[in-house]
Amino acid sequence: MTDREGMRSALCKAPSTWTQYKTLLAKDLKAEFRTKDMVVSMGIYAFLVIVVFGVALSFARPGAEFLEVSGGLLWALVVFTSLLGLNRSFAKETENGCLEGLLLAPLDRGVIFLAKATSNLVFLALVEVIAVPLYWMFFSSFAAPAETGWLLVVPLVLGSIGIAGIGTMLSTITAATRGKDVMLALLFVPVIFPLLYACVSATTCALVGGDVFADGFLTSLALGAGYDVVMILASWVLYDFVVN
Amino acid sequence: MNPAITVEHLTKSFGGRKAVDNVSFALPQGAFLSVFGPNGAGKTTLLRMLATLARPTEGTVTLAGINLKEEPERAREAIGLISHNPMLYPDLTAEENLLLYAKLYGVRDPQRRVIELLDAVGLKHRRLDRVRTFSRGMTQRVSIARALVNDPSVVLLDEPYSGLDPHAMRIFDELIASVRADRTFVMVSHDLDKGLALASHVLVLARGRVVHFGEKDQMSPDEFADLYRTTVGMGVS
Repeated sequence: MTDREGMRSALCKAPSTWTQYKTLLAKDLKAEFRTKDMVVSMGIYAFLVIVVFGVALSFARPGAEFLEVSGGLLWALVVFTSLLGLNRSFAKETENGCLEGLLLAPLDRGVIFLAKATSNLVFLALVEVIAVPLYWMFFSSFAAPAETGWLLVVPLVLGSIGIAGIGTMLSTITAATRGKDVMLALLFVPVIFPLLYACVSATTCALVGGDVFADGFLTSLALGAGYDVVMILASWVLYDFVVN
Repeated sequence: MNPAITVEHLTKSFGGRKAVDNVSFALPQGAFLSVFGPNGAGKTTLLRMLATLARPTEGTVTLAGINLKEEPERAREAIGLISHNPMLYPDLTAEENLLLYAKLYGVRDPQRRVIELLDAVGLKHRRLDRVRTFSRGMTQRVSIARALVNDPSVVLLDEPYSGLDPHAMRIFDELIASVRADRTFVMVSHDLDKGLALASHVLVLARGRVVHFGEKDQMSPDEFADLYRTTVGMGVS
């Protein structure tokens, strides 16, 4: 054993929070890009949901009303796909007792939350980058979106941040429960309901365009952004209590 | 000099049941404490509180003068835990796993420290292999390296022999012997022979309470075996 500075070995210095965050994030990204099991299963699932939507709507007559439901369908796709990923993301931490290894390290529990939420956001964004253009192609064959349609990217980013943040917190809570898959869905959907409502509204406004866009887009985004800030801050603060 | 570990009136309750009940002891630096007791005696709960993984309901734990309840992050800098759970990510290599922990602990030269530890546990040649491909014994050796990455002054061992074959047990004993100097160890074990061979101090728990605590030499092995058999018969808390 080497000399010590208080409790800390001379081999170590005070760990930096930023380095710890980067280290935990890199760990998640490296493990996932090596196995690809989470992103691939989320991607396949998203594709299948789009196929099911296609079959479900195949006998409907093309028209403008498609644009009014398409925002909701896009968010159904995002929510169900993210649920699949969130369930898997924390399973990796409980395997082999890895979470305990992290909890033994001298780091703020909030850093574990932020790193895990960031990696979940990256994985969700990757799936969205593939799934949303597919969805766009599929729905544009039924009805042409308005010129403001591309602005659906804004609620998509806002919603994905909220889903990753709140979902990380809830998946930590449910990881140790029996029937955790169902338990996560039961907690997740009601908790994100206000965010979901805001994002569906903003997405629909962007796709429909015109007066609808002018009336509701920014208001819906403000609601979603406010919800994100409050819930992510609350999750960060409460994470220490949750993991303990 | 402060004792390395001081435990005072430590209690942990789950609902109305006391898993650990008013446990007190003090260990000098460099001591090796073996904790014995039947299943459900509170051994692992005690170890989890020493590791800051569980919060005591009552009582205090002090590591070299630092109160675990008040400054858990500072205390964690000096703790290493080896358990039957390796705490290693199966899809990362041995080197990547150790680098992860080295960076979390703020090790000054993580790459050098990791190579040094992998060499010490005889797995330098497998450092780029994923942990998933390792045998139980090899995984446990990487787990020992993980627990020592921060050069801890207190090493906690929770049933470390669980699932190891005799060869892996021998390697484990050699590794512990090689890092024992100046460190304080607390080991929870069901293996009376192993526990007594390593110990300088012995703690026997039953129903969450201390049945016996003292230096190993205070009692002959036969007297201790009798005490242990009686304790096992006392059942769980």
